[in-house]
Amino acid sequence: MSPRILKPSPVKSDGTKTRVLVAMSGGVDSSVAAALLVEEGYEVIGVTMQVWDYSQCEVDEGAGTCCSTTDVDDARDVADRLDIPFYVINCEAKFKEDVINPFVSAYLQGQTPLPCVNCNTYLKFDHLIRKMKELNCDYLATGHYAQIQEGPAGDPQIFTSEDSWKDQTYFLFTIQPELLNTIIFPVGDWTKPELRKYAEEKDLIVARKKDSTGICFVGNSGYDNFIESQVSPNDLPPKGPIKEYPTGKVLGEHKGIHHYTLGQRKRLGVFAENPLYVIKIDAAEATVWVGDQEHLYRSEMEIAKCHLLDQIAEGESLRVKIRFQHQGAKAQLYKKSDGSYSVRFDEPQRAITPGQAAVIYRDKQLLGGGWICP
Amino acid sequence: MNFTTLRDNSLKKDRIYLDFNATSPLATELSEQILGWLSAWGNPSSIHCDGRRPKTLMRDARNNLAKFLGVHPLEVIFTSGGSEANNTAIKGVFESFHKVSSDPKKKQRRQLIISAVEHPSVKGAAQWARERGFDVTVVPVDRSGQLDIEFYKKSLSEKTALVSMMYANNETGVIFPIKELAEMAHRHGALFHSDCVQTLGKTELNLRELNVDYASFSAHKFYGLKGSGLLYVKKRSAYSNLIQGGGQERGRRGGTENVLAHTAFGYMTKFQGLIPEAISNMEKLRDYFEEELIKRIERVSITGKSSQRLPNSSNVLIEGIDGESLLMNLDIEGFSVSTGAACSSGNPEPSPVLLAMGLSAKEAQSSMRIGLGWTTSQEEIDSFLSGLENVVSRLRKIQAESLRQGEVSL
Repeated sequence: MSPRILKPSPVKSDGTKTRVLVAMSGGVDSSVAAALLVEEGYEVIGVTMQVWDYSQCEVDEGAGTCCSTTDVDDARDVADRLDIPFYVINCEAKFKEDVINPFVSAYLQGQTPLPCVNCNTYLKFDHLIRKMKELNCDYLATGHYAQIQEGPAGDPQIFTSEDSWKDQTYFLFTIQPELLNTIIFPVGDWTKPELRKYAEEKDLIVARKKDSTGICFVGNSGYDNFIESQVSPNDLPPKGPIKEYPTGKVLGEHKGIHHYTLGQRKRLGVFAENPLYVIKIDAAEATVWVGDQEHLYRSEMEIAKCHLLDQIAEGESLRVKIRFQHQGAKAQLYKKSDGSYSVRFDEPQRAITPGQAAVIYRDKQLLGGGWICP
Repeated sequence: MNFTTLRDNSLKKDRIYLDFNATSPLATELSEQILGWLSAWGNPSSIHCDGRRPKTLMRDARNNLAKFLGVHPLEVIFTSGGSEANNTAIKGVFESFHKVSSDPKKKQRRQLIISAVEHPSVKGAAQWARERGFDVTVVPVDRSGQLDIEFYKKSLSEKTALVSMMYANNETGVIFPIKELAEMAHRHGALFHSDCVQTLGKTELNLRELNVDYASFSAHKFYGLKGSGLLYVKKRSAYSNLIQGGGQERGRRGGTENVLAHTAFGYMTKFQGLIPEAISNMEKLRDYFEEELIKRIERVSITGKSSQRLPNSSNVLIEGIDGESLLMNLDIEGFSVSTGAACSSGNPEPSPVLLAMGLSAKEAQSSMRIGLGWTTSQEEIDSFLSGLENVVSRLRKIQAESLRQGEVSL
C-alpha cells in the first residue's frame, strides 16, 4: 500500500474555502500548480518574488531562467486567465543578502555553491511563509516536484516526486519540518509530460516554455563574469599556479580560483598528453591542482550545517546525492562530536564538490542533508 | 446633472475604489456620449466632409477647456497626457533658450528649478536638461510637505530660465502656493510651469489668476479617458515642439489628434458647477476618515496633515506595518488603495516623495495613500475603516507573534 499524499480539503470545516498562496515563477510547473488548485476549488492567491534586477545581467528573458521580467508578466498572465489575485513582491534586498552574497563568497573561497537551496530556505519557505500568514492564507503552494506523504506516526514527510527525472527534493532538505503542515506541492504526483499536456489544454501560454536550467540570476555570460560583476577587482582571488597532482609540478598560471570548478576539464589553459581535470582548489595557497581523473574519486566526505527531517541510525545504509544530477549512492553516516557527519560511500564517488549539498534519502523519503566540506 | 449620473456603473459592485489620485473611473454620462462620438472617426485635418465633425468636436473641447481654466483657446495644446505636457514644457523651454535663442540674455539663463517632490516626468525631463548642460536646482520640502521658500528665493536669479513646481502632490495632496511662487520667479524674469495634473475636480483654479506661464493637465484624473491631456502655454511664452509632425495644434504638437479622448475631456467641463459641492463632500469624508482612523487604530499619523491639502487626499502612516502586505490584504478584501505612486507599484520601493519629506525608508514603506472621488460615499468610508482596522490588527498580531519567536521583524 502506498502512503497517503497529504493534501488539505479545499473547503474548511466552517464552509469557507481554504485559502492558498501560490508562489508563481511564470514557469509551467508553478502555473499548473496554481491552475490545479483553482480547479480543485481552493481560494488561490498568486505571488511572484521579484528577486533580482535582471537588467543587470544578460539573460535571454523567459528563456529558461527562474524569474526574469517577462517571467513575471507570464505569471501575471496565467493568474489573469485563472482569475485570481496576483502580486509581485519585492525581495531584492533579501535575495541579495541571503542568496547572492553567500554565492559570491563561496566562489571566492574556491567552492561551487548551490544558491537554490538558500532561495528555498530564506525566501520561499521563510519570507513567503510570513506573507502566507499576513495574507490570511492557510497554505503555501509551490511548483516543486516533491510529495508530502503521511509518515508512520501520521506526521508529514517529504518524498521524491512521481517524475523521478524532475524530482526537486534535493533543494528542499533545509525545510523546517513543522512547516510541512502548511505546504502543498500540487505537481509532485505529476510527470512533466502530463503537466505540459494539462497546461496546453488549459491554454496557459507557458505550456511550451523551456524548463529552467542553470541559476536564475547568472545569465548567459557565465559564473566567472557574474562574480567579477559583483566584486571589486581588488577583492577578486589573485592569479596563481596550476600544479600537477600529486607531483606538485607547476604546469601554468590560473586566472583566479573563481574560474574553476572541481572536475572541470575544459578551459584549463595547460597542455598535457593525458586529459587533465581540476582535482582540488586550494584557496589559501591560491593554487589549482589538476591531474588524472582517478584522483577525482573519493569514498569519504564530511558534511556540516546538517539539517535532519527524520531520525537516522548510525551506520544505516542510506542513499546520498552529492549534486542535483547525481543518482545517489549508498553510504553510511557517522555523527561527529561537533554535530557534523562523516559520510562513507560503498563505492568511490567522482568529484565530491565542496559547497554543494549532500542530501540523504531512505528509499524515497527525504531525510535531510548537509553541506559538503572542503 | 447630479452625482448619481456620474457614478460609474463599470465600477465593480463588490469593490471600493479609493485611489482617485492614480486614475478615476469614466463618468457614466461620458460612456454614453462616447458611443455617439465614435462615428466621428474622420481625420480633423481633412478638408472633406469626414474631417469636419471631428474638427468641430476638437474645437468645442478646446473652447470648453479654455473657458474652464480661464484662458484663451489658442493657449491650449492637446497632448497624450500629463507626462507629455510636463516634458513638452520643460524640454521646450530648454530648447528655445539653449539652442534656438540668439538672444544672449536668454542664453545666460541656464538654470531650472524644481521641487523635491515632483512627478517622475518632471524629474526625468529635468535630468534630461541637466545632461544637456542646464543647472538643475532641487528645492527641498519639510516633513509636512511644504516647500522651503527661503531656499527657493535664494535659488532664483537672472540665471533662472524656468521653475517647475506642482500645484498639489499626488501622494500627500499637499498644495504649494503657486501664485506666490510664480510671482517670485517672474520678478527674476524666469518662466513658471506648474504640473496641475492633480487639480481637476478637486480644487477650483483659474490659470489667469494663478499667472503661471505653463500648466499641465490630464483627462483621466478627471473622470475622462486615458491618452488625453493638455499643456497650457501662455501667449508669447517660449515654446518648442516635443513632437514634430503635421500642422496639428497649430504646428505645436504633431500627430493626428486623439479626438475621442479630447472630446470627452472637454465634455467634463460641463460638470464645473458641481465642483464646489464635490470638494466640500470629499473634504468632509476625508476629515471624517482621518478622525475615525486616529480614534480606532493605534500608532497612526497623517503625513502632511498640517499643510494645506487637496480635499480628497490622505497619506496614512501606520507604524510597523508593511505597506506591501497591507495593500495586498486590502485588495483581497475588496479595497483599492495604493502605497507609493501608481507608476512605481509592482516594484515596491519606498516612495521618493515621502523620502524627500524626510520620512525614513521604514516609515515610507509603512505608508498608504487614499484618494477620494466625487462618488465616494459615507458607507464606503465606513466599510473601508472597518476593513483597515481588521487587517491592521491581524498584521500587528502576526508581527507580535514573530517577535516573540525571535524572528527578524520587518
